[in-house]
Amino acid sequence: MTTYKFLNVIEKCINCGGCFAICKDTNKVPHGTARVKIVTINEGVPGERNIPVSCMHCTNPPCEAACPVKAIEQRADGVVLVDKDKCIGCGYCGWACPFGAPQYPHDLHGAAAEYEGIMDKCTLCVTPFVPGATLKSPQPKCAQFCSTKCRLGGDINEILPQYREAKARNIIAWQERV
Amino acid sequence: MATRTKSMDKSSGIRLSRRTFTKLTALGTAAALSGISSVGTSAAEILVPAASAAPAPGVKLVKSICSHCAVGCGFHGVIEDGVCTGLEPWTDHPVCQGGMCSKGTSIAEMINSETRLKSPMKKVGGKWVKISWTEALDEIANKVKQVQSTYGPDSIFWMGSAKMTNEECYLFRKFAAFNGTNNVDHQARICHSTTVFGMANTWSFGAMTNSWNDMRHSGLIFFCGENAANSHPVSMQHILEAKRRGAKFIVADPRFTKSAALADQYIRFRSGTDIALIMGMANWIIQNDWHNKDFIAERGYGFDAFKEEAAKYTPEVVEDITWVPAETLKELAYDWAHPPAAELGEDSVACICWAMGATQHTVGTHNIRSFACLSALMGYVGKPGGGCNAFRGHDNVQGATDMCILSHSLPAYYGLSDGAWKHWVGVWNRHAPVTFDEMKAKFAEHNGKSLINVKGLTDSRWYEGVLNTDEFPVNQPNPVKMAFVWGHSLNSITEMKKMKQAMEKVELLVGVDPHATIAASLADRPDGIIVLPASTVFEKDGSVSNSARQVQWRNTLVEPMYDSRTDYWIMKELATRLGFGAHFTYNSPEDITREFNLGMRVIMMKQSPERLKKQQQYCADFGVEDCQAKSGPCAGEYYGLPWPCWNDEHPGTPLLYRNDVPISEGGNDFRTKFKDAAQSTPGNPVSDDGVSMLATGGYDELNSDGTPGGGWKTELDEDFKDIIAQNLCPSGSGRMRFRAWNLPDFVPTHREPIESPRPDLIDKYPTYDDVADHYRIPCKYKTIQQERKNLVNEGFPLILTTGRQVEHMGGGAETRSCHYLVELQPEMYAEINPKTAGSIGVKHWDYVWVETLRGRCKVRAYVTERVNDQTVFMPYHWAGWFEGESYADRWPEGTCELALGDSVNIICVDGYDRTSNMQETKACQCKVYKF
Ligand code: SF4
Ligand code: SF4
Ligand code: SF4
Repeated sequence: MTTYKFLNVIEKCINCGGCFAICKDTNKVPHGTARVKIVTINEGVPGERNIPVSCMHCTNPPCEAACPVKAIEQRADGVVLVDKDKCIGCGYCGWACPFGAPQYPHDLHGAAAEYEGIMDKCTLCVTPFVPGATLKSPQPKCAQFCSTKCRLGGDINEILPQYREAKARNIIAWQERV
Repeated sequence: MATRTKSMDKSSGIRLSRRTFTKLTALGTAAALSGISSVGTSAAEILVPAASAAPAPGVKLVKSICSHCAVGCGFHGVIEDGVCTGLEPWTDHPVCQGGMCSKGTSIAEMINSETRLKSPMKKVGGKWVKISWTEALDEIANKVKQVQSTYGPDSIFWMGSAKMTNEECYLFRKFAAFNGTNNVDHQARICHSTTVFGMANTWSFGAMTNSWNDMRHSGLIFFCGENAANSHPVSMQHILEAKRRGAKFIVADPRFTKSAALADQYIRFRSGTDIALIMGMANWIIQNDWHNKDFIAERGYGFDAFKEEAAKYTPEVVEDITWVPAETLKELAYDWAHPPAAELGEDSVACICWAMGATQHTVGTHNIRSFACLSALMGYVGKPGGGCNAFRGHDNVQGATDMCILSHSLPAYYGLSDGAWKHWVGVWNRHAPVTFDEMKAKFAEHNGKSLINVKGLTDSRWYEGVLNTDEFPVNQPNPVKMAFVWGHSLNSITEMKKMKQAMEKVELLVGVDPHATIAASLADRPDGIIVLPASTVFEKDGSVSNSARQVQWRNTLVEPMYDSRTDYWIMKELATRLGFGAHFTYNSPEDITREFNLGMRVIMMKQSPERLKKQQQYCADFGVEDCQAKSGPCAGEYYGLPWPCWNDEHPGTPLLYRNDVPISEGGNDFRTKFKDAAQSTPGNPVSDDGVSMLATGGYDELNSDGTPGGGWKTELDEDFKDIIAQNLCPSGSGRMRFRAWNLPDFVPTHREPIESPRPDLIDKYPTYDDVADHYRIPCKYKTIQQERKNLVNEGFPLILTTGRQVEHMGGGAETRSCHYLVELQPEMYAEINPKTAGSIGVKHWDYVWVETLRGRCKVRAYVTERVNDQTVFMPYHWAGWFEGESYADRWPEGTCELALGDSVNIICVDGYDRTSNMQETKACQCKVYKF
């Protein structure tokens, strides 16, 4: 069975913003809203690390549990989606999500204006910001385009070996040095 | 957010927005749409499906190469009825494996940018008016003729671009030649000209020796003045892989960069003291007898002179100059000499990498020489994982440098001698008749000498050629009266106040660019500016060379948008009006490639378009470890056929100077380029002090008949297959130079920056004597260093250094016009240390002034420990404000970039490299205070 996940090898994220920009481009996410963003810790001092943050498509999504109108649903393949027509924009999912992934965009224009205040987040590229009539199959563009291959996304059976390999280091341990 | 709209379809007038497309395709009407399309995509386009996703019906995926840096990442443009609606990854691209940074992933947005210049515009009576291409080209051509006849051909300055294709770069240099002037230059002058002079004077070629992918095999990667996480993001894929395999990654930089954050060790040193640091390492290595004596004896020259100079840089002396503790220096030297075994075991070697942190200095050429010598000291050159990796900037700056859009050379570094001209005129003559005498007649004479052999003005100081002041008179018949700014941002050039005056003084200023840029907005003048909309690189076919000398073919994604035209077309139209159109009329870009394939012999750029396209098609066969195709139609070839690529069968040379593999399989050697003319004879090149420049068992460069001589550079129709079959390198087997007897310092010698925080060290390590004629303009060194000796105590206590942001590129006109990138990086700032901020009472993101002797910039304060309390850092991509005043209303309507900021190059120092005329941007004295 296919289960979609993200695994981030954070030792390799360089905060290049490639994921952010390709997500914007692919999914037409409006200015001011992000489905994936880099959070930098310890900026400018040893220990500085960049962490790509987005919806993690949790196995037990707390947002789904928190939603009072049952707008959020996890599919059989693990992808957590919001039905924008059901969403009331209350913000509970934002409280529930450990990553702050749900966004409630404002100041929207054009076709997006209809979704003012309605929750948006990573859909694994299944639907763009303004949902279309059809759903695409999950193709995490951010992971495909990641500069350093630190962001792995897709079927857990495919990405887990890649993650393990990326983490497995030569005995001349960088672990000690990091 | 921009809607991706096709430019007005020239024949049917139908406009289709990207959104309409999405809707229509969702409804399943894509097939019907193809009937609407009347503008076909280029015939040369090669369609290859992405590995990841099959395109929907009616959608084409076209391979292309990113336009934002010299890593040269590939991607697929998603093309729907002639509109680029998005990107798909090129997952089997040998260099990037599908990866791209934020600039690359924003390409679709940038192609479709609403703020692009949409038609030729002319400033009349203080207003911008739209003019037709015919009017614009006629007016420009007439002005060119008038200036040339009144003042002479040197009164026009042609500023070209590293963002053109190789074909266009080549033609641009040829174009200047047909205009009778060497006053032609481009961005390489201000980014890596010192790399080229430094490396070429040490190794014999001026380019990156190894490649991006090759760094996977390093045992130690040493960054000195490079921040790849910002400036060459995808290269970090290979660097971090090397680190995973056990390599040590060390970053030496005045600033704790994003790259430093991922390194094993970070070493902070003072801006402008690279030579002291490197010579200190060299000294410690020599003192401990760790150096590679075999390599030095067999392939090196002048080691004793080097050793003698290095001995002055004891760990204690280095600590005093550089801030690097003596113990740290000793460890660093040890590490350099003993790279971790990583994957190569005992053969483990180290590489050194740099970019503008090292190049943009008054001593830039010698910074690079010191790196090359440090590498030679251990014999790390010509080996996988070793070498000197200069990370070039623009996507095609390696190509533009090779094509020599440079005021001191004809394409392929032939120089400006009569012999060089005869070589190239011979090549040009094959396309349309022209003789050397005709060419020479186009050039003016000055002081009894033809200017055909005299180096021209450089883009770093072109404005002095206009201003022609008593202090800096220009040494040519007349000052510059007309300037072309052709694909070149002006805010990447220092002394912007003077440049602004020059832009106000010329009789006509012509900007050619996809965006209006500050070529349109900087000058305070009511008229005398014409801007022409150039197509982006995605609107034409052509080849592009990345930093690793890998040449890739770039396909047309979309036809020129709006009313833009390709650089080639503009050159051809002007050439026709100027009476030499035949020399610039070609049936296809490929014909231009074939023409330069014939002449680019010094570096053997003989990669035919057919071979490049074949490699693109079979890219999946090339391995990520060494970029070699192990099977398939390209088996044996290296990706991009890195030069020297000797002939139509040669696989390319992935590692320069590697002499343990056959030349026919990519082997190479040091050229026998360095010879004292008076003492050398064919077969016996010697140095100025009479030492043989042949390697042990080496031989001089060869003619095609196997006799010693420079024939390999000039015999156009020879392919040297016989010589290569005997495993001889036609360019000879010579020695690299520790001692370069033709440079101002024979051996790298520390000299304090013009503006230094250490008056005492200025006395000990003074800069150069002033120069009366440096690329036609006097250049001041000692005078100004002495005048400003006490600056640190006279109110300018902090060192100002500049650099890159990952989201922006060069002058930033394109990237500051992109919504996504502006969202990530919306404003200009100066990084200041929390202590500095505290001392001036400034909080994060408050406005501050940063002031130097040249002027001041109003910017946000970015309070961070990236810089120490003696340093201030500012990115250089910003323009549109001038000393705090916004110039937003000066652009042609609708063409102003989305984000503007003050330009740091208003305030950078007026110092220039003693050899290449590179501007100093990394070290000067400043003060910061609250706005
Ligand atoms: S998977 Fe797609 S929607 Fe999710 S963050 Fe990545 S690009 Fe955006
Ligand atoms: S693309 Fe990859 S390396 Fe770049 S910021 Fe995103 S996760 Fe990090
Ligand atoms: S800017 Fe450089 S690293 Fe970024 S995508 Fe383009 S070529 Fe790759």
